[in-house]
Amino acid sequence: MGNGGWRISRSRGRAHLPLTVVAVLAVALILFGKARSSLFDDARTNLSDWMRPALSVTRAPMEAAGKWLSSIGEFFWVYQENLRLKEENARLKQWHNKALVLDERLKRYQLLLHAVPDPAMSSVVARVIGRANHPFLQTIILDAGKANGVKPGQAVIDQRGMIGRVYLTGERTSWVILLTDLNSRIPVSIEPNTDQAIMTGDNSPMPMIETLARGVQLKADAQVVTSGDGDILPAGIPIGVIVPVGNTYRVALFADQTTAQDVEIVDFKLKPEHPPAVTQQELPVTAAGLPPAAPPQPGAGLLPQPVLQPPPPVFKPPVQTQKPATPPADSGDNDVPNTGNE
Amino acid sequence: MERLGGFLPNRFFSNAIPVFFSLVGVALTNLPFSVFGSWIPSPLYALMPVYYWCLVRPDLMSPGWVLLIGLGSDVLSPAPIGIWSASFVITYAVIDRQRDAFAGLSGWGAILGFATATLIACCAHYVITSLYLWKVMAVSGSIKEFAVTSLMYVAVLPLLGWTHRKVVGPLRSDF
Repeated sequence: MGNGGWRISRSRGRAHLPLTVVAVLAVALILFGKARSSLFDDARTNLSDWMRPALSVTRAPMEAAGKWLSSIGEFFWVYQENLRLKEENARLKQWHNKALVLDERLKRYQLLLHAVPDPAMSSVVARVIGRANHPFLQTIILDAGKANGVKPGQAVIDQRGMIGRVYLTGERTSWVILLTDLNSRIPVSIEPNTDQAIMTGDNSPMPMIETLARGVQLKADAQVVTSGDGDILPAGIPIGVIVPVGNTYRVALFADQTTAQDVEIVDFKLKPEHPPAVTQQELPVTAAGLPPAAPPQPGAGLLPQPVLQPPPPVFKPPVQTQKPATPPADSGDNDVPNTGNE
Repeated sequence: MERLGGFLPNRFFSNAIPVFFSLVGVALTNLPFSVFGSWIPSPLYALMPVYYWCLVRPDLMSPGWVLLIGLGSDVLSPAPIGIWSASFVITYAVIDRQRDAFAGLSGWGAILGFATATLIACCAHYVITSLYLWKVMAVSGSIKEFAVTSLMYVAVLPLLGWTHRKVVGPLRSDF
């Protein structure tokens, strides 16, 4: 059985490449791959682009078979599940109404406070056409690529929360590194104290919370969202809730990456925020060209008068062009230092 | 079969079949569908023809081919390039050195022999990946991969045996 019932050949045939040479080539390949990974990434994306039609066609029966297999067990408690879902639906409707009211109120407050609105985000809806499952790597392949405006680094979310982020883009396909993958590192914020941390994947279903400030104690079920640090991902995307495991904290993800079918690729680009133009009335008196205030009269008050300091450096916004600001020729008398704001 | 100007079609096809099987195995392993569920890795199908023909006809499965099969696995999987190539070459080297011991096994012993080869491949992959990423990795993924690959060999082995007996053997005149 072991060898299919066939006799073992002792002949080696013609001379082949020696094993030692092949071993050296294998080591060289690792080093070359580390140095020029982009070369192989292009090959991968070209391959996935080429296989896209086949993947799209074969996806449906495979997913159907998977669903059918997973639903065999659920058949026996479908009645209880139905009751539970009805109850949950009623509860969610109440929350939905409450959320609408609060959303309107928040908009009014933002309008009253002249708050800077959240950056607008566009998104591309894509379909999962493949999942690669390896011991140390967990990725999915989407049927949207550069042609759809997808770029590496963009967040991938489903209706429940974040799944991962794009790390390779082909013309029509893109590869997504999942939050559970070993190479995944996401800056997160943990509610309600907005504790900043890094969430790292370790190939387990629940990623780990790392780089948390010393002494910070997190509570179970505290919500984890993206912090937006680094301007790579938008802030506030829901990820999961905290689950304490021994001395460490892990995150139970909202999104189920194993069942996600249609996902959104969020195109987030934080536009540079320009400060509003400073009016004459807001400028300090010296900078506005007004006469300096009269010095205080000696003995005018019993309390010691504060020592007057020269006016603080004033930020002068660029008028029309984006050239670096240069000190005006007629401002040499006060010698205002560069603020570094430009 | 007739010789066509120095080119022997039968010999070519008999040489190509083991490599073709391995490349099909690479494609199946890296098929982006979770046939075994999301938390069980895909079996190393490519290792099965490599192991089989390395024992039965090592002239049909040379080290150079094994390196190329590993490279194919590297390119198709999202793993860093070269890790599967090196793992396959290491496994091949061990099988080649201990060929007599492996080839003498029969029945469930042969399955055990393949399980040993799979263990070597998974261990090599684990160690090289850990060194590459400079991080101690969780072993659970490798253990699952080892288990599922060893089990799948029971199903694939009859196909390999049949192909060797019915296709590769008759195509070779020196068989």
